[in-house]
Amino acid sequence: MRTIKLYISFIGLTIFATSCTKVIDLKLGNDSGKLVIEGNITQLTGPQYIKLSQNVPFTNTNVYPAVSGATVSVTDNQGNTYPFVESPSGTYSIAAMAGVIGNTYTMTVVTGGTTYTAKSTIPDFVNLDSVTSRPAIFNTSKNLRQITVHFQDPAGIANQYRFVMYVNSVQVKSIFAFNDQFSDGRYSNIDLIENDIDVHPGDTVKVEMQCIDQPIYTYWFTLMQQDPNGPGGGVTPSNPPTNITPASLGYFSAHTTQTQTIIVK
Amino acid sequence: MKKLLLPILFLLIGFEAFAQKNFTVSGTIKDNATGEQLIGASVRIKELPQMGTATNSYGFYSLTAPKGEYTLVISYIGYETIEKSISLTKNLDLTVAIGSKSELKEVVISSNKPNNDNVAAPQMGVEKLNMSQINNVPVLLGEKDILKTISLLPGVKAASEGNTGFYVRGGASDQNLILLDEATVYNASHLFGFFSTFNSDAIKDVSLYKGGMPAEYGGRLSSVLDVKMNDGNNKDYTVQGGLGLISSRIKVEGPIVEDKGSFMISARRTYIDLFLKASSDSTVKGSTLYFYDLNAKANYHFDDKNAVYLSGYFGKDVLGLKNTFGTNWGNSTGTIRFNHIFNNRLFSNTSLVYSNYNYAIEDFESDNNFKATSQITDVNFKEDLQYSISNDHTLKFGLNILHHTIAPGNITTSATSSFNDKSIEERYGYENAAYVSDDWRVNSKLTFLYGVRLSGMFLLGPGTFSTYDEAGNTISSKSYTSDQLVKAYFNLEPRFSASYLLNEESSIKASYNRNTQNIHLLSNSTSSTPTDLYVMSSNNIKPEIADQVSTGYFRNFSDNIFEFSAEVYYKWLQNQIDYKDGAQLIANQDVESQLTYGSGRAYGLELFIKKKYGRFNGWIGYTLSRTEVKFADINDGNYYPARQDRTHDLSVVGIYQLTKRWNLSATYIYGTGNAVTYPTGKYEIGGLTTFSYSQRDGYRLPPTQRMDIGATLEGKQHKKYHSSWTFGVYNVFAYRNPYIITFRDSKTVPNTTEAVETSIFATAIPSVTWNFKF
Repeated sequence: MRTIKLYISFIGLTIFATSCTKVIDLKLGNDSGKLVIEGNITQLTGPQYIKLSQNVPFTNTNVYPAVSGATVSVTDNQGNTYPFVESPSGTYSIAAMAGVIGNTYTMTVVTGGTTYTAKSTIPDFVNLDSVTSRPAIFNTSKNLRQITVHFQDPAGIANQYRFVMYVNSVQVKSIFAFNDQFSDGRYSNIDLIENDIDVHPGDTVKVEMQCIDQPIYTYWFTLMQQDPNGPGGGVTPSNPPTNITPASLGYFSAHTTQTQTIIVK
Repeated sequence: MKKLLLPILFLLIGFEAFAQKNFTVSGTIKDNATGEQLIGASVRIKELPQMGTATNSYGFYSLTAPKGEYTLVISYIGYETIEKSISLTKNLDLTVAIGSKSELKEVVISSNKPNNDNVAAPQMGVEKLNMSQINNVPVLLGEKDILKTISLLPGVKAASEGNTGFYVRGGASDQNLILLDEATVYNASHLFGFFSTFNSDAIKDVSLYKGGMPAEYGGRLSSVLDVKMNDGNNKDYTVQGGLGLISSRIKVEGPIVEDKGSFMISARRTYIDLFLKASSDSTVKGSTLYFYDLNAKANYHFDDKNAVYLSGYFGKDVLGLKNTFGTNWGNSTGTIRFNHIFNNRLFSNTSLVYSNYNYAIEDFESDNNFKATSQITDVNFKEDLQYSISNDHTLKFGLNILHHTIAPGNITTSATSSFNDKSIEERYGYENAAYVSDDWRVNSKLTFLYGVRLSGMFLLGPGTFSTYDEAGNTISSKSYTSDQLVKAYFNLEPRFSASYLLNEESSIKASYNRNTQNIHLLSNSTSSTPTDLYVMSSNNIKPEIADQVSTGYFRNFSDNIFEFSAEVYYKWLQNQIDYKDGAQLIANQDVESQLTYGSGRAYGLELFIKKKYGRFNGWIGYTLSRTEVKFADINDGNYYPARQDRTHDLSVVGIYQLTKRWNLSATYIYGTGNAVTYPTGKYEIGGLTTFSYSQRDGYRLPPTQRMDIGATLEGKQHKKYHSSWTFGVYNVFAYRNPYIITFRDSKTVPNTTEAVETSIFATAIPSVTWNFKF
């Protein structure tokens, strides 16, 4: 993966040396008002959030209308039911709930006369060993850094990971989703290659590591491949396959979470 | 096989008896300066205008006519037309050497009337390019390129700007069969597709079949690009070459035994990495980026009846960053052919062909190191026979046994790496075929070219083969032992073309053909990466099938100086392959679980006007077409435009011989933009602006257009050597053709999103090459 990403960056730097970009105006369709559900359950004690919103046309500002008045709850495979309450508008939460590793959670959202459900299982916890920085491969004159995460992948089971990276408290606009298809049981060193925010010595970098289940991995991996700078080199984009039925935009993910923060050297 | 042979045998015997009172003249047509056999040269009898033939791939012709005194007319584009008186009172062997016009070093407007083969021949949907045209068409960075020239023909579209990938009549780029001296070239591109693997110095002849495929070709749905290498000069030793901005090339050829055998070696090497040394980025500075090609060929004619040809190609791209990663990929092919002329009417060619495509990717960093390799290897035995039964019937028949070995992926790592060793099971299979076709002149107006090809695909063990449900989950797995049959598919592929001559200058033609494809390229990346993965038809993947009907009107003007054609086609495609969302294709044992299957249709109109002769020549091609595909789980199961759909496609090529020494050329292209998927809405997920899509390929990139110009200055003629300069400007008006449009959060206005257009060649790119020959 990393190599293919490097390869694509390399093409960008060499062959496209004669290229240029400009911002253009396009007439795009008007796709709006569709339900977006983003639900997360983690092993840390709450609050846990499920957010309901709607999509807006491409030309609008990035303000997404909240979906209010829905009935939202989560059940686990032990027979427990957790009702979520709305506050503020569109954000549904439960205060003191912690997900349990190995449990399967079912989200139920009733809104606009339709009942949406999704299932997700919290996978085993894999410890994030460390986060390190080192000189970036490209643009050497700018003295940039790139961030690497290190952890021991458990042998014999399929693991999927998602990382979220923040530079000086600003989230990097890149998706990092990996699995152990090629690295099962190995001590893993994964470069979080991105070109959204330049990382310099002295910056504060926070990395969240999530252990996610297979359908949620497919969701994030599909989004990651559609990134023009991503490992897919920008495959034909589509709405990523959701685990919500009937299909809506968004996902419901039960996962483990942990974070580490470093000062970049 | 037996079932087929018997009727053929009866047919032969029958025609033999019927053909007794006729005599046959046969032989080879050659270039008188180099001894190169000329492919597709026209041989006809002046007194019997309907009696004519063209030389085959080895320059061989055979013409049968009633006893009599005749004048044989031999013509070939770019050559002087020759007339020979013959006395056909017995069977004749007649080998003729004809002179190239360029050897005369002056502009000749042929006094002989050019022939009307394009109108009279039943074959339709075929484009033949001769090398002098290819050499005069201006191209990117001065690298003459047959694939780029081909994309200027109607019905053929370049995959993207600067790219040598091409789409024929709505087919995908893996649906083209690309042959170099009969060997399949799996990846015909260098350097992410900017250059093709064909070094034009080494190429003799190029034919592209878009429709009405002759029965001797099979295995791909859309087209056959048949490229033949030069045999080498069998009279003199010559060295020629060129020094260009990004590459240099050299060719050496000469006789092994004069008039009996010759060799040709041609090499090309690029040095783009020299430019990278100028980069301010020390990583780019320390990088490697080049490719090279080697073409070699030798032949020996034991006597008039027996000849052997050896040819080979080897090419590689090497790209890497010092201490970080490296990758290389390339093709190698080898062909041994044996020609035997049984008698003046039966010509045989036996070929043994090897072809390999492989790539390797290597990461050198100790904590992430790995080396991944993948390859496909073919060994192919072919027997092709051509039998000129009478002047009315020419029969072609043969068989083909092709063995594939596919090693999808092998990963090796060290103990300190993040990655494991991994090896994906190799796959083995046979693609066999037998064919027969007949070129039948019913009368002086009506000609049929009809035949059938029987193809069989046999996927063999050893290995574990799984079947998958719609969601990609494994339903069952079964182990097979070595050579155990896993799955077999048989397909009967009828091929039929007819031509009806309305008068000497115009005809109508029609054709139907079915083609099947048993080897499929998996690559879901839109950028050209070397990680092409091939799979055979299997227990999950069915053979792709295309049925095409086409019809056309062909008309020549001004004594055949101008050729005009209008062709329409409609194509039905079955068992087309696409990928599920988030598909993982690389080194995946269950790669077939990542696929989804659908159908397609393509139709269009192609208009073509060409001036082949005179100081000013060239062509205008225009295509109006539509290509759509349908997959159950994409776009709600409705038809949507395929990536290769292009409504309008126009190309204009002009070549003008200004003076004896100056030759000018220009090309202009205009095309509807590719079908692309744009977002129609947006939402926020995981803290990121995410786009929503409602229709696959529902939008178009803006149209592309470009004009390129070129000029060749021939040096003064010296006794010992000759040199020339080639100048070119690519994209002379510096059009900003959009390559890709991406969407992102605005960098300038917070809380909004923007569309960004990237053009790769937004400027005019000049080039100069110095060529020499001695």
